[in-house]
Amino acid sequence: METDVLIIGAGPSGLTAALETASRGLDVTIVEESFSMGGQFIQQTQLLQSLPSSYQPMRGFELAGLLTKQVEDYSIRCLLGHRVIGFYKDGSVGISDEINVFPLKAKKIIVATGAAENALAFPKWTLPGVMTIGAVQTLINRDFVLPGKHAVILGSSDFAMDVALQLSELGVQIKGIIEKTPSLTARDAEKVEEVRKKGIPVYVNSSIKEARGIGKVEEIDIVHGEQILTVSVDVVCIDGGRSPILDVFYQLGCSFSYQKELGGWIPQYNKSLQTDREDVFLAGNAAGVSSQGVLLTTGMIAGVYVSESLGAISKQEADIETMSLWRELEIMETKLYPDAWKARMQHVENFEHPVLKDQFIS
Amino acid sequence: MDKTMIICRCEEISYEEIEEVISNGAKRFDDIKRMTRCGMGPCQSKICNSLVATIIHEKTGIPIHEIPLPRMRMPISPIKLETLATNSTSFSSVKSVLDEVELEDGKVR
Repeated sequence: METDVLIIGAGPSGLTAALETASRGLDVTIVEESFSMGGQFIQQTQLLQSLPSSYQPMRGFELAGLLTKQVEDYSIRCLLGHRVIGFYKDGSVGISDEINVFPLKAKKIIVATGAAENALAFPKWTLPGVMTIGAVQTLINRDFVLPGKHAVILGSSDFAMDVALQLSELGVQIKGIIEKTPSLTARDAEKVEEVRKKGIPVYVNSSIKEARGIGKVEEIDIVHGEQILTVSVDVVCIDGGRSPILDVFYQLGCSFSYQKELGGWIPQYNKSLQTDREDVFLAGNAAGVSSQGVLLTTGMIAGVYVSESLGAISKQEADIETMSLWRELEIMETKLYPDAWKARMQHVENFEHPVLKDQFIS
Repeated sequence: MDKTMIICRCEEISYEEIEEVISNGAKRFDDIKRMTRCGMGPCQSKICNSLVATIIHEKTGIPIHEIPLPRMRMPISPIKLETLATNSTSFSSVKSVLDEVELEDGKVR
Protein backbone atom coordinates (compact mmCIF):
# COMPACT_ATOMS: atom_id res chain seq x y z
CA MET A 1 0.00 0.00 0.00
CA GLU A 2 1.25 3.49 -0.79
CA THR A 3 0.17 6.94 0.34
CA ASP A 4 1.37 10.54 0.32
CA VAL A 5 0.81 11.26 4.00
CA LEU A 6 0.51 8.73 6.81
CA ILE A 7 -0.95 10.05 10.05
CA ILE A 8 -0.39 7.90 13.12
CA GLY A 9 -3.20 8.60 15.59
CA ALA A 10 -6.73 9.89 14.93
CA GLY A 11 -6.91 12.14 17.95
CA PRO A 12 -7.69 15.87 17.63
CA SER A 13 -4.26 16.83 16.25
CA GLY A 14 -4.12 13.89 13.85
CA LEU A 15 -7.55 14.82 12.48
CA THR A 16 -6.75 18.52 11.95
CA ALA A 17 -3.50 17.49 10.24
CA ALA A 18 -5.51 15.13 8.02
CA LEU A 19 -7.92 17.93 7.08
CA GLU A 20 -5.10 20.35 6.20
CA THR A 21 -3.38 17.83 3.95
CA ALA A 22 -6.45 16.19 2.37
CA SER A 23 -8.02 19.58 1.57
CA ARG A 24 -4.94 20.33 -0.58
CA GLY A 25 -5.49 17.25 -2.69
CA LEU A 26 -3.00 14.90 -1.06
CA ASP A 27 -3.64 11.20 -0.56
CA VAL A 28 -3.97 10.74 3.21
CA THR A 29 -4.06 7.58 5.36
CA ILE A 30 -4.84 7.56 9.07
CA VAL A 31 -3.87 4.67 11.35
CA GLU A 32 -5.75 4.50 14.64
CA GLU A 33 -5.64 1.67 17.16
CA SER A 34 -9.12 2.22 18.59
CA PHE A 35 -12.32 1.79 16.60
CA SER A 36 -13.37 5.43 16.70
CA MET A 37 -11.80 8.74 15.77
CA GLY A 38 -11.42 11.73 18.07
CA GLY A 39 -8.95 10.34 20.59
CA GLN A 40 -9.54 11.29 24.20
CA PHE A 41 -11.99 14.02 23.13
CA ILE A 42 -14.77 11.45 22.78
CA GLN A 43 -15.14 11.16 26.54
CA GLN A 44 -14.54 14.77 27.51
CA THR A 45 -17.73 16.45 28.64
CA GLN A 46 -16.15 19.63 29.97
CA LEU A 47 -16.58 22.79 27.90
CA LEU A 48 -13.45 23.65 25.90
CA GLN A 49 -13.14 27.43 26.05
CA SER A 50 -9.74 28.02 24.56
CA LEU A 51 -9.93 26.77 20.97
CA PRO A 52 -8.46 28.14 17.71
CA SER A 53 -10.56 30.94 16.21
CA SER A 54 -11.99 28.65 13.52
CA TYR A 55 -13.84 26.66 16.22
CA GLN A 56 -16.66 27.75 18.52
CA PRO A 57 -16.35 26.84 22.22
CA MET A 58 -17.89 23.39 22.60
CA ARG A 59 -17.64 20.20 24.62
CA GLY A 60 -14.92 17.66 23.89
CA PHE A 61 -17.16 14.94 22.50
CA GLU A 62 -18.96 17.46 20.28
CA LEU A 63 -15.63 18.55 18.85
CA ALA A 64 -14.64 14.91 18.30
CA GLY A 65 -17.89 14.41 16.39
CA LEU A 66 -17.34 17.54 14.31
CA LEU A 67 -13.78 16.60 13.35
CA THR A 68 -14.78 13.03 12.52
CA LYS A 69 -17.56 14.29 10.27
CA GLN A 70 -15.21 16.70 8.48
CA VAL A 71 -12.70 13.91 7.90
CA GLU A 72 -15.40 11.67 6.48
CA ASP A 73 -16.25 14.36 3.91
CA TYR A 74 -12.85 13.86 2.32
CA SER A 75 -11.67 10.62 0.77
CA ILE A 76 -9.23 9.93 3.58
CA ARG A 77 -8.27 6.29 4.11
CA CYS A 78 -9.02 5.51 7.78
CA LEU A 79 -7.47 2.33 9.13
CA LEU A 80 -9.36 2.04 12.42
CA GLY A 81 -8.41 -0.84 14.71
CA HIS A 82 -4.93 -0.92 13.18
CA ARG A 83 -1.62 -0.42 14.95
CA VAL A 84 1.86 0.54 13.86
CA ILE A 85 4.12 -2.24 15.11
CA GLY A 86 7.45 -1.13 13.71
CA PHE A 87 9.40 0.07 10.69
CA TYR A 88 11.27 -1.82 8.00
CA LYS A 89 14.67 -1.20 6.60
CA ASP A 90 13.28 0.14 3.31
CA GLY A 91 11.43 2.82 5.29
CA SER A 92 7.96 1.32 5.05
CA VAL A 93 5.70 1.19 8.08
CA GLY A 94 4.58 -2.17 9.49
CA ILE A 95 0.86 -2.08 10.25
CA SER A 96 -1.21 -4.77 11.91
CA ASP A 97 -4.93 -5.32 12.38
CA GLU A 98 -4.24 -8.18 14.84
CA ILE A 99 -4.73 -10.75 12.06
CA ASN A 100 -2.43 -9.55 9.29
CA VAL A 101 0.72 -7.52 9.11
CA PHE A 102 1.32 -5.41 6.01
CA PRO A 103 3.81 -2.74 4.95
CA LEU A 104 2.72 0.76 4.00
CA LYS A 105 4.95 3.18 2.17
CA ALA A 106 4.39 6.87 2.90
CA LYS A 107 6.16 9.93 1.50
CA LYS A 108 5.64 11.83 4.76
CA ILE A 109 4.61 10.68 8.23
CA ILE A 110 2.86 12.80 10.85
CA VAL A 111 3.17 11.21 14.28
CA ALA A 112 0.27 12.22 16.54
CA THR A 113 0.47 9.50 19.15
CA GLY A 114 -0.54 11.73 22.06
CA ALA A 115 0.43 11.36 25.68
CA ALA A 116 0.05 8.74 28.40
CA GLU A 117 -0.64 9.28 32.07
CA ASN A 118 2.18 8.96 34.56
CA ALA A 119 1.99 6.72 37.60
CA LEU A 120 2.61 7.79 41.18
CA ALA A 121 3.67 4.96 43.46
CA PHE A 122 2.85 4.39 47.12
CA PRO A 123 2.65 1.15 49.10
CA LYS A 124 -0.20 -1.06 47.77
CA TRP A 125 -0.89 1.25 44.82
CA THR A 126 -1.47 -1.86 42.73
CA LEU A 127 -4.71 -2.71 44.59
CA PRO A 128 -7.87 -2.70 42.45
CA GLY A 129 -9.64 0.63 42.90
CA VAL A 130 -6.46 2.64 42.42
CA MET A 131 -6.52 4.06 38.90
CA THR A 132 -5.43 7.07 36.91
CA ILE A 133 -7.68 10.08 36.70
CA GLY A 134 -8.07 9.59 32.95
CA ALA A 135 -9.30 6.05 33.54
CA VAL A 136 -11.94 7.44 35.90
CA GLN A 137 -13.12 9.90 33.27
CA THR A 138 -13.26 7.14 30.66
CA LEU A 139 -15.32 4.95 33.01
CA ILE A 140 -17.90 7.61 33.83
CA ASN A 141 -18.23 9.37 30.47
CA ARG A 142 -17.63 6.62 27.93
CA ASP A 143 -18.66 3.43 29.71
CA PHE A 144 -21.25 5.00 32.06
CA VAL A 145 -19.82 3.07 35.00
CA LEU A 146 -19.40 4.64 38.42
CA PRO A 147 -15.96 3.62 39.69
CA GLY A 148 -17.01 3.84 43.35
CA LYS A 149 -18.74 5.93 45.99
CA HIS A 150 -15.93 7.41 48.06
CA ALA A 151 -12.87 8.75 46.29
CA VAL A 152 -9.67 10.64 46.90
CA ILE A 153 -7.64 12.35 44.22
CA LEU A 154 -3.85 12.39 44.36
CA GLY A 155 -2.64 15.43 42.42
CA SER A 156 -4.38 18.72 41.65
CA SER A 157 -4.07 19.70 37.99
CA ASP A 158 -6.84 21.40 36.01
CA PHE A 159 -7.84 17.98 34.73
CA ALA A 160 -8.13 16.70 38.32
CA MET A 161 -10.48 19.61 39.07
CA ASP A 162 -12.64 18.72 36.04
CA VAL A 163 -12.95 15.10 37.13
CA ALA A 164 -13.51 16.05 40.79
CA LEU A 165 -16.48 18.18 39.71
CA GLN A 166 -17.83 15.47 37.41
CA LEU A 167 -17.56 12.83 40.14
CA SER A 168 -19.27 14.94 42.78
CA GLU A 169 -22.08 15.79 40.34
CA LEU A 170 -22.64 12.04 40.01
CA GLY A 171 -22.92 11.67 43.77
CA VAL A 172 -19.46 10.35 44.45
CA GLN A 173 -18.16 11.70 47.74
CA ILE A 174 -14.70 13.21 47.23
CA LYS A 175 -12.94 12.74 50.53
CA GLY A 176 -9.98 14.84 49.62
CA ILE A 177 -7.62 16.22 47.03
CA ILE A 178 -4.05 15.44 48.06
CA GLU A 179 -1.26 17.64 46.73
CA LYS A 180 2.41 17.32 47.65
CA THR A 181 3.36 20.94 46.85
CA PRO A 182 2.26 23.91 49.05
CA SER A 183 -0.54 24.95 46.66
CA LEU A 184 -2.88 23.47 44.04
CA THR A 185 -1.28 23.10 40.60
CA ALA A 186 -4.53 23.90 38.73
CA ARG A 187 -4.37 27.22 36.84
CA ASP A 188 -8.06 27.69 36.13
CA ALA A 189 -9.16 29.83 39.11
CA GLU A 190 -12.87 29.41 38.27
CA LYS A 191 -12.71 25.64 38.53
CA VAL A 192 -10.73 25.75 41.78
CA GLU A 193 -13.40 28.05 43.19
CA GLU A 194 -16.13 25.61 42.13
CA VAL A 195 -14.29 22.77 43.85
CA ARG A 196 -13.99 24.90 47.01
CA LYS A 197 -17.72 25.63 46.90
CA LYS A 198 -18.48 21.90 46.83
CA GLY A 199 -16.71 21.64 50.17
CA ILE A 200 -14.12 19.14 48.97
CA PRO A 201 -11.26 19.03 51.49
CA VAL A 202 -7.88 19.96 50.04
CA TYR A 203 -4.69 18.68 51.68
CA VAL A 204 -1.60 20.53 50.51
CA ASN A 205 1.94 19.53 51.53
CA SER A 206 0.51 16.04 51.82
CA SER A 207 1.00 12.58 50.38
CA ILE A 208 -0.41 9.07 50.63
CA LYS A 209 1.57 6.98 53.09
CA GLU A 210 -0.11 3.71 52.33
CA ALA A 211 -3.26 2.10 50.94
CA ARG A 212 -4.86 -0.92 52.59
CA GLY A 213 -7.54 -3.41 51.74
CA ILE A 214 -8.26 -7.05 51.04
CA GLY A 215 -8.67 -7.62 47.33
CA LYS A 216 -9.47 -3.94 46.75
CA VAL A 217 -8.58 -0.57 48.21
CA GLU A 218 -10.52 0.04 51.43
CA GLU A 219 -8.66 2.79 53.25
CA ILE A 220 -5.67 5.06 52.84
CA ASP A 221 -3.39 6.95 55.18
CA ILE A 222 -2.77 10.58 54.27
CA VAL A 223 0.34 12.25 55.68
CA HIS A 224 -0.78 15.81 56.42
CA GLY A 225 1.87 17.77 58.29
CA GLU A 226 2.56 15.99 61.57
CA GLN A 227 -0.60 13.92 61.56
CA ILE A 228 -1.74 10.88 59.68
CA LEU A 229 -5.38 10.82 58.57
CA THR A 230 -7.01 7.49 57.82
CA VAL A 231 -9.78 7.77 55.23
CA SER A 232 -11.99 4.94 54.03
CA VAL A 233 -12.31 5.00 50.23
CA ASP A 234 -13.07 2.66 47.36
CA VAL A 235 -11.43 4.72 44.60
CA VAL A 236 -8.05 6.45 44.48
CA CYS A 237 -7.53 8.61 41.38
CA ILE A 238 -3.90 9.20 40.48
CA ASP A 239 -3.16 12.41 38.63
CA GLY A 240 0.56 12.19 37.91
CA GLY A 241 0.51 14.37 34.82
CA ARG A 242 1.07 13.14 31.27
CA SER A 243 4.10 12.40 29.13
CA PRO A 244 4.36 12.11 25.33
CA ILE A 245 4.23 8.59 23.86
CA LEU A 246 7.60 8.11 22.20
CA ASP A 247 7.95 4.53 20.88
CA VAL A 248 7.27 5.48 17.27
CA PHE A 249 9.81 8.32 17.34
CA TYR A 250 12.37 6.05 18.96
CA GLN A 251 11.86 3.41 16.28
CA LEU A 252 12.20 6.07 13.60
CA GLY A 253 15.53 7.17 15.06
CA CYS A 254 14.44 10.70 16.00
CA SER A 255 16.45 12.72 18.55
CA PHE A 256 15.03 13.82 21.88
CA SER A 257 15.44 16.55 24.45
CA TYR A 258 14.10 16.97 27.93
CA GLN A 259 11.53 19.70 28.69
CA LYS A 260 9.94 19.25 32.09
CA GLU A 261 7.05 21.66 31.38
CA LEU A 262 6.09 19.74 28.23
CA GLY A 263 5.96 16.35 29.91
CA GLY A 264 9.60 15.21 30.02
CA TRP A 265 11.39 13.68 27.03
CA ILE A 266 10.04 15.00 23.73
CA PRO A 267 11.25 14.54 20.14
CA GLN A 268 13.37 17.32 18.70
CA TYR A 269 11.41 19.52 16.27
CA ASN A 270 11.60 22.85 14.48
CA LYS A 271 9.07 25.58 13.68
CA SER A 272 7.62 23.46 10.88
CA LEU A 273 6.95 20.72 13.48
CA GLN A 274 9.43 18.59 11.55
CA THR A 275 11.67 16.22 13.49
CA ASP A 276 15.33 15.80 12.59
CA ARG A 277 14.20 13.12 10.14
CA GLU A 278 13.18 15.01 7.06
CA ASP A 279 10.10 12.89 6.31
CA VAL A 280 8.72 12.79 9.86
CA PHE A 281 6.53 15.50 11.37
CA LEU A 282 4.68 15.52 14.66
CA ALA A 283 1.62 17.11 16.24
CA GLY A 284 -0.44 17.30 19.41
CA ASN A 285 0.58 16.02 22.83
CA ALA A 286 3.42 14.06 21.23
CA ALA A 287 5.04 17.46 20.61
CA GLY A 288 4.66 18.40 24.28
CA VAL A 289 1.68 17.99 26.58
CA SER A 290 -0.65 20.97 26.36
CA SER A 291 -4.24 22.20 26.32
CA GLN A 292 -6.86 21.10 23.78
CA GLY A 293 -6.72 24.24 21.64
CA VAL A 294 -2.97 23.86 21.22
CA LEU A 295 -3.40 20.25 20.05
CA LEU A 296 -5.67 21.33 17.21
CA THR A 297 -3.33 24.14 16.19
CA THR A 298 -0.17 21.99 16.14
CA GLY A 299 -2.04 19.51 13.93
CA MET A 300 -2.89 22.31 11.49
CA ILE A 301 0.70 23.62 11.43
CA ALA A 302 2.12 20.14 10.78
CA GLY A 303 -0.50 19.61 8.07
CA VAL A 304 0.39 22.87 6.30
CA TYR A 305 4.13 22.14 6.30
CA VAL A 306 3.64 18.57 5.10
CA SER A 307 1.57 19.96 2.23
CA GLU A 308 4.40 22.38 1.50
CA SER A 309 7.05 19.66 1.60
CA LEU A 310 5.05 17.63 -0.95
CA GLY A 311 4.68 20.65 -3.24
CA ALA A 312 0.93 21.12 -2.75
CA ILE A 313 1.48 24.75 -1.68
CA SER A 314 4.39 27.14 -1.91
CA LYS A 315 6.79 27.88 0.92
CA GLN A 316 5.52 31.45 0.99
CA GLU A 317 1.89 30.39 1.38
CA ALA A 318 2.81 27.94 4.11
CA ASP A 319 4.76 30.56 6.05
CA ILE A 320 1.91 33.07 5.84
CA GLU A 321 -0.68 30.52 6.99
CA THR A 322 1.37 29.17 9.85
CA MET A 323 2.41 32.61 11.08
CA SER A 324 -1.15 33.29 12.23
CA LEU A 325 -1.46 29.75 13.61
CA TRP A 326 1.71 30.13 15.70
CA ARG A 327 0.40 33.48 16.93
CA GLU A 328 -2.86 31.83 18.03
CA LEU A 329 -0.96 29.01 19.65
CA GLU A 330 1.09 31.51 21.62
CA ILE A 331 -2.03 33.30 22.87
CA MET A 332 -3.76 30.05 23.88
CA GLU A 333 -0.74 28.55 25.57
CA THR A 334 0.49 31.65 27.41
CA LYS A 335 -2.98 32.21 28.84
CA LEU A 336 -2.93 29.09 31.01
CA TYR A 337 0.56 27.62 30.73
CA PRO A 338 3.16 30.36 30.09
CA ASP A 339 5.95 28.03 31.24
CA ALA A 340 4.97 25.44 28.65
CA TRP A 341 5.13 28.08 25.91
CA LYS A 342 8.57 29.20 27.08
CA ALA A 343 9.78 25.59 27.15
CA ARG A 344 8.34 25.01 23.65
CA MET A 345 10.15 28.03 22.21
CA GLN A 346 13.37 26.97 23.89
CA HIS A 347 12.90 23.48 22.47
CA VAL A 348 12.38 24.78 18.93
CA GLU A 349 15.42 27.09 19.15
CA ASN A 350 17.51 24.20 20.39
CA PHE A 351 16.60 22.08 17.35
CA GLU A 352 20.24 21.52 16.33
CA HIS A 353 21.34 20.41 19.79
CA PRO A 354 19.37 17.41 21.03
CA VAL A 355 20.26 15.71 24.30
CA LEU A 356 19.63 12.16 23.09
CA LYS A 357 20.80 11.35 19.56
CA ASP A 358 21.65 8.18 17.62
CA GLN A 359 20.50 6.23 20.63
CA PHE A 360 19.30 3.16 18.78
CA ILE A 361 22.56 1.37 18.10
CA SER A 362 24.66 1.61 21.21
CA MET B 1 10.09 5.38 50.71
CA ASP B 2 8.64 2.04 51.63
CA LYS B 3 10.94 -0.78 50.50
CA THR B 4 8.18 -3.25 49.64
CA MET B 5 6.40 -0.82 47.30
CA ILE B 6 5.92 -2.34 43.84
CA ILE B 7 7.50 -0.27 41.07
CA CYS B 8 7.16 -2.55 38.03
CA ARG B 9 3.62 -3.89 38.11
CA CYS B 10 4.01 -6.38 35.28
CA GLU B 11 7.04 -8.18 36.73
CA GLU B 12 6.35 -7.28 40.38
CA ILE B 13 9.71 -5.66 41.01
CA SER B 14 9.86 -3.80 44.31
CA TYR B 15 11.54 -0.57 45.30
CA GLU B 16 14.05 -2.58 47.33
CA GLU B 17 15.22 -4.61 44.32
CA ILE B 18 15.70 -1.48 42.22
CA GLU B 19 17.53 0.24 45.06
CA GLU B 20 19.85 -2.73 45.30
CA VAL B 21 20.89 -2.75 41.64
CA ILE B 22 21.41 1.02 41.76
CA SER B 23 23.77 0.51 44.71
CA ASN B 24 25.57 -2.02 42.49
CA GLY B 25 26.16 0.64 39.87
CA ALA B 26 23.04 0.74 37.65
CA LYS B 27 22.65 4.24 36.18
CA ARG B 28 19.94 3.97 33.55
CA PHE B 29 16.69 2.15 32.98
CA ASP B 30 18.22 -0.48 30.71
CA ASP B 31 20.81 -1.42 33.38
CA ILE B 32 18.02 -2.06 35.86
CA LYS B 33 16.02 -3.93 33.24
CA ARG B 34 18.89 -6.31 32.51
CA MET B 35 19.44 -7.09 36.17
CA THR B 36 15.87 -7.32 37.48
CA ARG B 37 13.44 -7.84 34.52
CA CYS B 38 11.88 -4.46 35.47
CA GLY B 39 10.04 -3.18 32.39
CA MET B 40 10.02 -6.52 30.58
CA GLY B 41 6.32 -7.28 31.10
CA PRO B 42 3.39 -6.58 28.77
CA CYS B 43 3.45 -2.79 29.31
CA GLN B 44 7.08 -2.70 28.13
CA SER B 45 8.17 -0.08 30.69
CA LYS B 46 5.39 2.37 29.80
CA ILE B 47 4.24 2.62 33.43
CA CYS B 48 7.43 2.16 35.47
CA ASN B 49 9.77 4.22 33.27
CA SER B 50 9.16 7.56 35.02
CA LEU B 51 9.05 5.95 38.48
CA VAL B 52 12.42 4.27 37.92
CA ALA B 53 13.95 7.49 36.55
CA THR B 54 12.85 9.27 39.75
CA ILE B 55 14.43 6.58 41.94
CA ILE B 56 17.71 6.73 39.97
CA HIS B 57 17.67 10.50 40.38
CA GLU B 58 17.03 10.29 44.12
CA LYS B 59 19.62 7.60 44.77
CA THR B 60 22.47 8.83 42.57
CA GLY B 61 21.83 12.54 42.13
CA ILE B 62 22.00 12.22 38.32
CA PRO B 63 19.67 14.90 36.91
CA ILE B 64 16.51 13.47 35.29
CA HIS B 65 17.45 14.89 31.87
CA GLU B 66 20.68 12.89 31.93
CA ILE B 67 18.90 9.58 32.52
CA PRO B 68 18.26 8.28 28.99
CA LEU B 69 15.02 6.71 27.81
CA PRO B 70 14.72 2.92 27.87
CA ARG B 71 15.35 1.31 24.52
CA MET B 72 12.05 0.83 22.67
CA ARG B 73 12.16 -2.13 20.37
CA MET B 74 9.93 -3.50 17.68
CA PRO B 75 7.16 -4.63 18.01
CA ILE B 76 5.91 -1.37 19.49
CA SER B 77 3.05 -3.11 21.29
CA PRO B 78 2.57 -6.79 22.13
CA ILE B 79 1.49 -8.83 19.14
CA LYS B 80 0.97 -12.53 18.57
CA LEU B 81 3.91 -14.24 16.89
CA GLU B 82 1.31 -15.96 14.71
CA THR B 83 0.11 -12.56 13.47
CA LEU B 84 3.64 -11.36 12.82
CA ALA B 85 4.33 -14.41 10.70
CA THR B 86 1.09 -14.23 8.67
CA ASN B 87 0.96 -13.01 5.10
CA SER B 88 4.51 -11.76 5.25
CA THR B 89 5.16 -12.10 1.55
CA SER B 90 7.22 -8.96 0.97
CA PHE B 91 9.54 -9.31 3.94
CA SER B 92 10.64 -11.72 6.61
CA SER B 93 9.18 -10.79 9.96
CA VAL B 94 12.01 -12.47 11.84
CA LYS B 95 14.56 -10.53 9.86
CA SER B 96 12.77 -7.28 10.62
CA VAL B 97 13.41 -7.80 14.33
CA LEU B 98 17.07 -8.48 13.65
CA ASP B 99 17.31 -5.44 11.39
CA GLU B 100 18.10 -3.24 14.34
CA VAL B 101 21.41 -5.05 14.86
CA GLU B 102 24.12 -4.18 12.40
CA LEU B 103 26.92 -6.66 11.95
CA GLU B 104 30.51 -5.84 11.11
CA ASP B 105 32.87 -8.79 10.59
CA GLY B 106 30.30 -11.00 12.25
CA LYS B 107 30.17 -8.83 15.38
CA VAL B 108 27.54 -6.39 16.56
CA ARG B 109 28.70 -2.91 15.62
